[in-house]
Amino acid sequence: MENKKTIEIKLSGRIDSGNSAQKEEEILSLLAGQEGAAVRIDASELDYISSAGLRVLLRVRKAFPELSIEDVSSEVYEIFEMTGFTEMMAVKKAYRVVSVEGCEVIGEGFNGKVYRIDRDNVVKTYKNADALAEIQHEREVARLALVLGVPTAISYDVVRVGDSYGSVFELLNATSFARILAKEPERFDWCVDEYVKLLKKIHSISVPEGKLPAIKQKNVGAVKNIIGLLPDGLGEKLLAMVEAIPDTDNMIHGDYHSKNVVLADGEVLLIDMDTLSVGHPIFELVSMYNAYVGYSEYDPSIVLAFQGFDADVARRFWHDSLAAYLGTKDEKKINEIEEKVRCLAYGRLIDWRTRHQSGDAEADKATIDLWKSRLIKLLGHVDSLDFETCCSAEESSDLELEAAPENLQKVLDFVGSRMAALDLSTKLRMQMDLAVEEIFINIANYAYHPGRGNAVVRVETTEDPVTVTITFIDRGIPYDPLKKQDPDLTLSAEERGIGGLGIFLTKKVMDDVSYEYRDGQNILKLKKNF
Amino acid sequence: MLKIDKTIENGKAVIAPEGRLDTVTSPDMENAIKETIPGISELTLDLANLEYISSAGLRVLLSAQKAIGGAGGSMKIRNVNDTIMEIFDITGFSDILTIE
Repeated sequence: MENKKTIEIKLSGRIDSGNSAQKEEEILSLLAGQEGAAVRIDASELDYISSAGLRVLLRVRKAFPELSIEDVSSEVYEIFEMTGFTEMMAVKKAYRVVSVEGCEVIGEGFNGKVYRIDRDNVVKTYKNADALAEIQHEREVARLALVLGVPTAISYDVVRVGDSYGSVFELLNATSFARILAKEPERFDWCVDEYVKLLKKIHSISVPEGKLPAIKQKNVGAVKNIIGLLPDGLGEKLLAMVEAIPDTDNMIHGDYHSKNVVLADGEVLLIDMDTLSVGHPIFELVSMYNAYVGYSEYDPSIVLAFQGFDADVARRFWHDSLAAYLGTKDEKKINEIEEKVRCLAYGRLIDWRTRHQSGDAEADKATIDLWKSRLIKLLGHVDSLDFETCCSAEESSDLELEAAPENLQKVLDFVGSRMAALDLSTKLRMQMDLAVEEIFINIANYAYHPGRGNAVVRVETTEDPVTVTITFIDRGIPYDPLKKQDPDLTLSAEERGIGGLGIFLTKKVMDDVSYEYRDGQNILKLKKNF
Repeated sequence: MLKIDKTIENGKAVIAPEGRLDTVTSPDMENAIKETIPGISELTLDLANLEYISSAGLRVLLSAQKAIGGAGGSMKIRNVNDTIMEIFDITGFSDILTIE
């Protein structure tokens, strides 16, 4: 098969009405007789392009639909963006170049390293060839998580680092929990509390269908790989147990260890979102067990190298976190859940080590044998991996954000995602959006005037009968919008006042609207029955 | 997001908003109408591609009606879809605006 030809054309300087005809001629002469080829325009030296220049590109694209414009400077990119060109054709920005030479490495994963480039900024590098796709994926899931209520950092820039790419995060004075556990042992209990609080928050979020990959698949795959290594049908037993784990819609971080939870400017944040997925919380506990205990069962020095604290602290942190997560001090109960977790954890470890050899074949074999013997013992009496999770995904989660008009879209996206499963008609969606806009904008404009403050939006749904209740909570000036008089609809256009329609409309499109002032909070509830 | 399409011919203007007319986008619509009104006698708002309207958008329509009425001209609205017509009905706008 013949590869498709790509023709490169470099544009430089200014292209405006003065020279666009001449440039067009030059481009067309380069492309003469090349019909069907892909055209890649190198815009790294393009300083300015006017609408006359843009029209030239449109005409070129007509003859050569596979046109891309690359390495565009920020100034020129802005022109492409403003005129809508970025939506019509592939326009790629030139990336800022960042050097990480001599920078402190603050994290290291399978995919790359995280460097601190200055006090408040870190860059996460990716070594894979398709780094840009990965960066894009991580940005998307981080944004989704943020909208659904997870405190996380979103990268604000993509940069060139050597031959690959990196994403830049602002993390003010960030310290990982791993570092706190290593350097400030007196804060151990505080770390457990905050770590578990965030974990429960993540798991309590119900993920709309199709938004994140199912974590069960990865685990089923791992177990399938090792079936042959286990005797007496035990591999088949483990596979059947994994497959029987219910498919719940809990959000799962997928790599929840103490280096991925950071304290930044007094706030606990979750980072490294590329493994975000959906499924039963046992899968999260499995990767946590491995990070603190599993990997280093044969060689305890591994955890010290990886987390920066010793195996003893790691073991205790895992145990106390599990207990707090399950909400029990009953050692028998904790042990029962831990055994379920360990079954799958060893399955994952054996699969991983067989596929990634360390170079020391003897140590690898001894490690696998240890995991295998422990797994075989557990499989003798563990008969199910399911357990009652403490965070039912049915529970509604809240979105808290500044009550400001520019946050309206975030609120609409959040409410929309919480109602996604209801599959509403366009008309009903418009009515829900309408009520949410009117109430949120009202709070944004008046609740804290002239100051600023936050609002909480909570969405609760029931399935039988289908209802949605949306609650807005703010701590602003006490105000009951329902007391406002309805507008007089009989007046003529000339006589009618301009305002006062928002609350009236909300009452009309909802089935029930109620207000109360309690504990210093305005609480407004909208209810709709379908 | 709102796109506003505008054509003026012989003192008659047609403005066609496309997308969502909400708190965020209604100032754009208001400006588009304000700069059109001087010098025209008839304004038509074509809502065929309007997907959503909130009270902020309704306010813009009402003040447009007032402004052009005050200047001795007329305003009419056409191609209203069912969802938006219902909002016009609830708020009594279907009685005070000329809807074709």
